[in-house]
Amino acid sequence: MPDLDRRIAGLRCRDVLEVLGDYVDGDLEEETVQRVEAHLRACDHCEKFGGEYGALVAGLRQALLADEPRPGLRDRMIRRMTAVWREEEA
Amino acid sequence: MTAPADDSDLLRLSSRGDRGAFERFMDRHLGAVHRFLLSLGADADDAEDALQESFVAAWRSAGDFRGAASARSWLFTIARNALRRQHRRRVGEPTALESLESLGGHAGWGSTAAFDGAFEAREELRWALRQLPAEEGEVVVLRDLEGFSGNETAEALGLSLAAVKSRLHRGRLRLMSLLREDEVSDA
Repeated sequence: MPDLDRRIAGLRCRDVLEVLGDYVDGDLEEETVQRVEAHLRACDHCEKFGGEYGALVAGLRQALLADEPRPGLRDRMIRRMTAVWREEEA
Repeated sequence: MTAPADDSDLLRLSSRGDRGAFERFMDRHLGAVHRFLLSLGADADDAEDALQESFVAAWRSAGDFRGAASARSWLFTIARNALRRQHRRRVGEPTALESLESLGGHAGWGSTAAFDGAFEAREELRWALRQLPAEEGEVVVLRDLEGFSGNETAEALGLSLAAVKSRLHRGRLRLMSLLREDEVSDA
């Protein structure tokens, strides 16, 4: 494994690993964003890993949203609620 | 034409006994809550039981919703607690803390092998999500799959924003590691 203490653009690789999530989520201050991006431009390992991390996050959102619900799920839910409502009326 | 009611309106109407409003609320969130429960490791039957319990509880306590939190955070908290009652050992079970460097190494930091971040099949992702420690999996599901904000996730899970961020990052790294291993074993 490459040296995590290698310092580029004022940040060690381990520092970049630490803030990578916040960077991808847009939660870093602008000054830190610029330092991270300068590091990524000059560090092959972090640039490659950061790209893979970003691709994973981008892919997750679409991955399961298209899942079909279990057949009949809504109908069973409505039957359950109807039973609850009948109990309340009784 | 009237503007679509927001979740808070639907819950307020539900608390007054408006079943149609509650059905609309349910239709909006049924799929997402079901996915959330499955992603926390419940099998199909347990997830459906917890789902039904969640919406029954939401109907009965709709009047308690105050609107300070988002309605879906409130609902997902109910769902999480419903599953927790079924799976006490799984949800919220603490795991030994692995260092971030170690997680990053397993996820491929420093590796020259390519990983495209993609999953060939949704089944593969579902499998990987189920392998995550529950406290990381639930954060990944809410933030990355369901699109909750950091604050909504914190509300739903009763965590600080810092804890959400930490668990999210660790969960993503672990997910990369699992998908990478799966990719290698398939090769």
